[in-house]
Amino acid sequence: MRRVAGPSADRSGACTSAWPHVGTVITVRWSVEQVESVAPSPSAVTAAQPLATPQRWSGLGADDRGIWGSCQGSGAEPYDTAVDHVGVGFRCSCPSRRTPCKHALALLLLWARDQVPAGVPAPSTEVWIARRITTRAASAASTPESADSTSGGTAESTSGDGSAGSDGPGRRSGGAGGGDSDDGTATEPPPEHERNDARDERVERMFAGLTELDRWLDDRIRTGLADPALARYATWDDLAARLVDAQAGSLANRVRRLAGLVGASVTWHDDVLGELGVLHLLSQAGRRLGSLPDPLADAVATTVGWQVRKADVLGGVPDTDHWVVAGRSDQREDRIEVRRHWLRGESSGRWALLLSFAAYQQSLDDTLEVGTAVHADLHRYPGPALRALLGTRHPDPVDLIFPNEPGAGPPAGRPPGQTIAAACDEIGRMLVGEPWLDRLPASVTAAVARSGNGWSLNDHTGSLPLLGSSERSGRSGEHGLAALLAASAGAEVDLTIEWTPHGVVPLAIHVDDRSIDIGPRAEESFVGSGGER
Amino acid sequence: MTIDELWRGLVTTALLGTDRRDPPSAQGELGDLVADSVRADPSSRMLAQVAACTAVRRAGVLPGPPLMPLAPPVADDRPPCPRAAVDRWRHITTSWPVLEDEWMLTLIEQGWRLAPELVPQVLRRQRRDPVRRIRVLVAAGPLAAWLGEHLPELDSASTRRPTGVEMERMAVLPDLPVPPDLVALLTAGGAEIGGTIAIGLEERTLGEAHRAVLINVIARCRTDALVDVADVLDSVDPSSPGRGLASVLADLATTRHRMLDELTAR
Repeated sequence: MRRVAGPSADRSGACTSAWPHVGTVITVRWSVEQVESVAPSPSAVTAAQPLATPQRWSGLGADDRGIWGSCQGSGAEPYDTAVDHVGVGFRCSCPSRRTPCKHALALLLLWARDQVPAGVPAPSTEVWIARRITTRAASAASTPESADSTSGGTAESTSGDGSAGSDGPGRRSGGAGGGDSDDGTATEPPPEHERNDARDERVERMFAGLTELDRWLDDRIRTGLADPALARYATWDDLAARLVDAQAGSLANRVRRLAGLVGASVTWHDDVLGELGVLHLLSQAGRRLGSLPDPLADAVATTVGWQVRKADVLGGVPDTDHWVVAGRSDQREDRIEVRRHWLRGESSGRWALLLSFAAYQQSLDDTLEVGTAVHADLHRYPGPALRALLGTRHPDPVDLIFPNEPGAGPPAGRPPGQTIAAACDEIGRMLVGEPWLDRLPASVTAAVARSGNGWSLNDHTGSLPLLGSSERSGRSGEHGLAALLAASAGAEVDLTIEWTPHGVVPLAIHVDDRSIDIGPRAEESFVGSGGER
Repeated sequence: MTIDELWRGLVTTALLGTDRRDPPSAQGELGDLVADSVRADPSSRMLAQVAACTAVRRAGVLPGPPLMPLAPPVADDRPPCPRAAVDRWRHITTSWPVLEDEWMLTLIEQGWRLAPELVPQVLRRQRRDPVRRIRVLVAAGPLAAWLGEHLPELDSASTRRPTGVEMERMAVLPDLPVPPDLVALLTAGGAEIGGTIAIGLEERTLGEAHRAVLINVIARCRTDALVDVADVLDSVDPSSPGRGLASVLADLATTRHRMLDELTAR
């Protein structure tokens, strides 16, 4: 496997190997080229150059292990920056997600140019360095034979935030669209410097994991999709395990789903290649978060698996509306059943996604019935996120969209039907912003029609293939098709659908007096009673 | 080169691997984008092209050509059964399958047709029993045959002409086994049925060993007795050892009563 020049990653995500190892402290001043080699992008070095003058810094100092200083940035308070130039680690109080940020790069550049005086670190820097030495010594002791980044599989202890990313019960990684960490209300929050350390470690791990992912993708592309190794689940599972260790749980889930595409259809090479492309896109974007616009950076970070505390999401600005429960879809991901509820705001017309999770014999959220509306605050995840958490429910009763009264007719709130072409436009607009999204909601007015050996949704503007009507059907796809055929009898009906890159899934049929939930449903033998009708 | 042509070239290269074949070169804006790729080796260029091409193809999702609409099934003038009956069917198939035959026969007798969304599930459920299958075909009407034409897995027996015996049995609610000492309850009033069972449970002359036959009694007793049966059984002393079974039987009586109410109220 090819190695890039400069520091490479061990399994903890800390950078090692090109520089002296733990316990052999040798002060070797870096060259500017070495500084550039740790930058997340050339533009990061460019951004750091104006800061690499002693006039911008106070409290500069360096010793045989660290470099530190405070840089006056755009904020009122200077940013406290420190670099471990032996173990290669960075910390900065600036809000950038880039690692290293431009302040750390500037500090390194100053040091490389011999513009940082020798000194004694402040206590906080000293503690940070000491913790790094301890952590790395323990890591070295536990893996004496090698720190080869390809030998994943064993879970490291969780990072300092105390959560390995529980999106759902028994889950080690974030779920689709990012995870929720525990609220941590039972324990005292760690001191500020420890939180910074924890964040640094997580960022380093994730960065290393993304680098590792791209190397793996590169290998796949070089050896080709005909490589028999692709048919072995271990090929994918090993990578997924390493991504979990790298705090990129959502990417790990993607990799596991991708494994299921191999050999699943006659066009599996197309499908797998497209997904590899999306992984590459996310890997590249995840390593350039600092140079992305904030909403996009948030979306990428969440998609990669950056943990967001539920409390933080619920602390955001609420999106209050009468939310129509337009569709529901269950999907097994590894050993977890994931339920998606697609909601549509009556006033805003915006879509939102609520997720619930169940391990074996646990119950999924059954409180939201398709065809009802709930007046509630939704709190969206960072970025232009569809995913949200349900906050306060306002005291109005839950109303059926279609009250069971003769002549009531479809009241406001019924997802508006639209043509297939208009639905494609809507889906395309969402994908332009976030091309990695693999499930999107839409409403259409369409009929079912035959399309070769499969089935499609059809109207006068065109057709969209149905997922589940051919060999990729999965467990519940055929049931959805049969229910759709039966309820529509071949005529056009209003539908909520879920778009996927491989076809659309019908979730609900909205007929005159009710909505019919036909979305894929979890196996009753897997989930508890909450997953049953 | 169109985006689809480029994609086909990328898939071909991906099958072989860039060690054996160079990736195609993207033109235009996509080519410019890929030219910004950090590294210029074939696999890096290939990955960048695949990522860009995938993003463009997905965001540019277009509908396929319009298709030939399906011919509709023959019209069925009967109204579909009410939503409450649909929910009840789901409940009885999971909790009280002993009521399923009566539910279907009542639906047919009352002039309803099966709610369309139920038809595939019921067809699948009654795939093997020829008599029940006939009931489903009658209840579903022309929609069942139409579905069978389009989804062969739903057509396992729908095309076979039913025998005369099967047609006769189709219209009759099948008897359930009831021991001679309880047969009289089938024609008794609700207070008598409930009282007999409640006393038997409290005195332990009836118990879990009789559960199946007691269920059969309540599933076949007079319909005007059901409310009283439920009331009496619900009033069994909570400290009585027979309370659990009494509650279960009361639930059956209530479910059957509501089921019939939903299907007979027009």
